[in-house]
Amino acid sequence: MSELKPKNHKNAHGTTLSYVIGFVLSLVFTINAYISVVNKSTTGTRLLATILVFAVLQLAVQVFFFLHLGRGPKPLYNVTFFFGTVSLILVVVLGSIFIMNNLHYNMAGTDVIKKLAQDEGIAQVDGKKTGACAAVGTNYKVTIQDGKISPTTTRAQLCDTLTFINEDSGAHKITFGQQQSYAGQEVSVNKSYPKTITLNQPGIYLFQDSVSPTTAGNFTVAP
Amino acid sequence: MVEHSSESHEEAANERVMFGFWVYLMTDLLMFAVLFAVYAVLHDNTVGGPTGRDLFSLPLALAETLILLTSSFTCGLAMIAARAGHKKQVLNWFGLTFILGLSFLGLELKEFTEFIHAGHTISTNAFFSSFFTLVGTHGLHITSGLLWMAITLIYVMKRGLTTHMVRKLTLLSLFWHFLDIVWIFIFTLVYLRAFV
Repeated sequence: MSELKPKNHKNAHGTTLSYVIGFVLSLVFTINAYISVVNKSTTGTRLLATILVFAVLQLAVQVFFFLHLGRGPKPLYNVTFFFGTVSLILVVVLGSIFIMNNLHYNMAGTDVIKKLAQDEGIAQVDGKKTGACAAVGTNYKVTIQDGKISPTTTRAQLCDTLTFINEDSGAHKITFGQQQSYAGQEVSVNKSYPKTITLNQPGIYLFQDSVSPTTAGNFTVAP
Repeated sequence: MVEHSSESHEEAANERVMFGFWVYLMTDLLMFAVLFAVYAVLHDNTVGGPTGRDLFSLPLALAETLILLTSSFTCGLAMIAARAGHKKQVLNWFGLTFILGLSFLGLELKEFTEFIHAGHTISTNAFFSSFFTLVGTHGLHITSGLLWMAITLIYVMKRGLTTHMVRKLTLLSLFWHFLDIVWIFIFTLVYLRAFV
């Protein structure tokens, strides 16, 4: 009773021959996929499709010849379960890739890196300057008094800072010129609360009070 | 008549156990699917660091694939021997499967240690987090499969190939074939994909 007699199980469990067929086919698919990548017989999406086809073929071969799916006693609940799982996997994997690609498309990678770099003050990524400042340079001051800006022109280097000081009782809303607007777009300065901006973009910038356009000035940021 | 009914009873129990284990394998597959999705989404996020293309060794990945595939094959041959009641063959084929599994694990650990020594740990960037999680989870499955195999083989040596033991070996072989199938996709989507 303890030794299991060979039973009429050939269909449900497979034979040496079926394992050999499965093994040889798997070898062929693996090596073909490997060679097509190493030799670069095609490139890009076509190559990706090729290796995916080899993987799926090998999946089918192993599920049939090694796991013997579909050859057990009927009804085949395990086959149903298998295909249910496969569809869930397709939804999860393809759905994730689709959604995340869409997200990447809408938030283009370079912009995200640039924004992150500026927020975190990372001056270089991958050897390229990001426009963010790791070390802050000279501080320049612009004073607004009686609706007049002094000095009206400031020349600064990249990564210098510019402080707006308001000596008037009312608040001044400084906007930067329409054509060459600066990051931040608008700075609101109240009396005895100066505002400082970091000059992390080279260029020539005009600014003015949003209420009285005569209160105007400009600054140049040399790269 | 009595013998027939006990045998069909045994058969029904077998089917129940097999189906239960199949359900486990499928849910485990779902977990791997999520880890694959995470890797697919994050594998480009290296924050300027080296990518898979710079670091992966294709010959090493191929060697791992062939070793695991062969171990899946020898595992199948072991099951044929088990159903035929050849204890010695079972021990030999499963022994070979065990050694192949162990060498696979050795190669994987070698790769991991090289990465970590070069300063690429699981917390380096999103690419390495998802890589180590996906491939490491598979490695943990292989490790537990090897432990399971060692323990079952000791039982086979002590108690012989009982019906109960053959059922256990069947589940083990299902698990082992399953891990090979998961590896095919790691080989394709992680290693080969990096060089496309």
